[in-house]
Amino acid sequence: MTAEALRKENIPAAEARVPQRGELRPVEKRTITVAVAGNPNAGKSTLINAIAGSRLHVGNWPGVTVEKKEASFEYAGARIRLIDLPGTYSLSPYTQEEIIARDYLVNERPDLIINVVDATNLERNLYLTVQLMDLGIPMVMALNIFDEAQAKGYRIDVGGIEKMLGIAVIPTSATKKSGLDELLKSAIATAKDPQGHLPQQLNYGEDIEMAADFIAGELIAGHPALIERYPRRWLLLKLMEGDGHVQKVTGFGGNLLEEALRHLKRAHGEDIEAVMAEARYALATGLTREVLQKPELPKTELTEKIDRVVLHRVFGIPIFLAAMWIMFKLTFDLSKPFADWIGAMISGPFKRLAEALLGAIHAPAWTVSLATDGVIAGTGNVLVFVPMIFAMMFFITFLEGSGYMARAAFVMDRAMHSIGLHGKSFIPMLLGVGCNVPAIYATRTLENPRDKALTALLVPLMSCGARLPVYVVFIGAFFPKHGGSVLWSLYMMGILLAIGMGFVFKKTLFKGEAPMFIMELPPYRMPSLRSLLIHTWEKGKHFLIKAGTYILAVSIMVWFLLNLPWGVEHKKDSYLGQVGAIVAPALKPLGFGTWEASSSLIAGLVAKEIVVGTMGEIYLKKEAANEAAKPSLGEELKEVGSSFLKAAGESAANITSTFGITSISAEEDAAKAAERSPLRAELKNQFTPLAAYAFITFVLLYMPCVVAAVAMVQEFGTWKWYGIAFGYQMFLAWGVACLVFQGGKLIGLGG
Amino acid sequence: MVPLGLLNPGEQGVITAIRLTPTCAPGADRQKCDCRVEDMGLRVGKTVQMLNNGSPILLKVDESRIAVDRGLAMKIMIKEVGR
Repeated sequence: MTAEALRKENIPAAEARVPQRGELRPVEKRTITVAVAGNPNAGKSTLINAIAGSRLHVGNWPGVTVEKKEASFEYAGARIRLIDLPGTYSLSPYTQEEIIARDYLVNERPDLIINVVDATNLERNLYLTVQLMDLGIPMVMALNIFDEAQAKGYRIDVGGIEKMLGIAVIPTSATKKSGLDELLKSAIATAKDPQGHLPQQLNYGEDIEMAADFIAGELIAGHPALIERYPRRWLLLKLMEGDGHVQKVTGFGGNLLEEALRHLKRAHGEDIEAVMAEARYALATGLTREVLQKPELPKTELTEKIDRVVLHRVFGIPIFLAAMWIMFKLTFDLSKPFADWIGAMISGPFKRLAEALLGAIHAPAWTVSLATDGVIAGTGNVLVFVPMIFAMMFFITFLEGSGYMARAAFVMDRAMHSIGLHGKSFIPMLLGVGCNVPAIYATRTLENPRDKALTALLVPLMSCGARLPVYVVFIGAFFPKHGGSVLWSLYMMGILLAIGMGFVFKKTLFKGEAPMFIMELPPYRMPSLRSLLIHTWEKGKHFLIKAGTYILAVSIMVWFLLNLPWGVEHKKDSYLGQVGAIVAPALKPLGFGTWEASSSLIAGLVAKEIVVGTMGEIYLKKEAANEAAKPSLGEELKEVGSSFLKAAGESAANITSTFGITSISAEEDAAKAAERSPLRAELKNQFTPLAAYAFITFVLLYMPCVVAAVAMVQEFGTWKWYGIAFGYQMFLAWGVACLVFQGGKLIGLGG
Repeated sequence: MVPLGLLNPGEQGVITAIRLTPTCAPGADRQKCDCRVEDMGLRVGKTVQMLNNGSPILLKVDESRIAVDRGLAMKIMIKEVGR
């Protein structure tokens, strides 16, 4: 049968639908579970954010590390639980996301599905809709991005879709927050009367339906339990498609199935799955043709115009590099005043307050030291970087939300090919700039195990947010005037080394051709400030939790290692100092062969941001001298407030200086910063600028942190890849830092 | 019939065949093949427009912009229909 004939017959599907026994759950139960399903880029997350906002809870799907968003709330007297399914193009069982979505729908049987459909891209979105309808779960369609479709001059017959699919269709715009109330009301109405809102059973054409009827007969006679357990229509279609997973679970197959499919195979060829996909696609195409009218002459879209520049053969990569540079510069400039402020507050008012409190209750001296030098200084030295991390996450979120991230992957595809990967692997790498841990988890979007492993191996070379604190301290001390450029050089070094190592791995561990690549580039959209803030918070939260929990724990541990055995006079004789002293000679050629530097690096094995905290502990002696003028509590609070305002002012001023206007008083600032941060001043005595650069290079490259290690082991189920990463990175870190220091000395940059 | 990869930017064509890789043959393990090509809307009968013919290639299919490998684009056969 031709696709044309199929279409004519199928829409609207004429068959009356008799609800199956056991298919629907009673509606009286109090919480309505709503699964939200849709294509990637259909605006699903924006829609959920707009509906649920701060009530959103982000977790993981059980057993896997794909993000799971959930929200529970009351609406119009009903209790609604929204479950966000991963974005998929289809419900076939070929990617992790598809398996999660379909397992949830089939096994958990939500009360209803909200199918988020991109109104500007109806046909492809309806392909998934058709598959969702097979599940026989009541459904409401959110015809999202409706405003854009209208602006493009599309005329969509909403009533027509409702009639043909038998479900409620609500035009929405998640970004403009329109249609959301109607959507929720319709969802509640549907949940209250599921029988009246079952989607139509679509007709796949005579040959397929005949085979389906035959199998249905066999199932009812021989396997009634199966029909009870699974949505009948879905089960039939999956059995016919030869879905291995379903066949295994149900134990149905063999000769009976062969017999049922004999005619179908003779008429349409052996690949039933392709036949079914064709039938579904024909349904989606037919439906689209019925309900959508496009304007005669499509305008050249803005997206296309931007792409012509951004994806340009010659200018694409320079534009990408420039965008990255601006991002890092803005991150650094915007957040630095706030970071300085937090630092000053912690080493000033907070420390004094804790000392005063502990003094008041006559706590022993060592607990005062533990609280101020261990807990407050340790965690505080990391908290200083919260503004930086959040600023970076904000810009990364913006790049993701605006659609540029996918372009970056496109532009970088050619470069990625040289290291045996394709552009899609670039996205985890770019995420690695925020934090390596989510980046390693993000490798699961790559279908091929070879790509996954290679990408995960290279991700740690992407300089993550945790390394930023170390750079910032050293940049503040040694290169205050060229902060942005030095920072940029480190990130670029990571990228270039990733290319080099990728090339090496391609020739050794991963011989063979890079697999095919296909990826959608979403249209450019201006992300709303609200969704930017929500996602920035979600990403930054992990850092805060880390700082609050185990960085705190490690700070305390490091304090003990630095102060044990009991009564050590000099830090050098502490446990950490002793180990550091053993390692130190190995770091001598790199320019920082001191026990202090190596002890900090050892502590940083747990998490790289700890390097800074430990340095604070080691280098800073107790300063009892300047306690003469102790300000009162009132004065302290005033200082906290006024200095914050000053920081905000500086931050705003820095934005202008980012774009070429010379920094107002860089030198003065630097002097002040050094004054404010005793650690920076002390570092200046300990390192030469060249050694400082070698040190931050080493921090960039030496082994991935413990959390990243856990992520890698969890993701691959073996220690193998982490072991390789550990080995090659240690080697690389030592080699490159040595090259920087010795090379620098050779060309006369001073030792 | 020409491979999709030979279209010039701006030109359009109708997909006439998708030459599946051997792993994509009926009964083969589909997890390893490129059937996502079809899920993403590149199917026989579809009109595609070449937006950017480099490496990779950027296509417009309906309202989506799809980036594909050159290698993959050479396995998709089309009939040219001009600009």
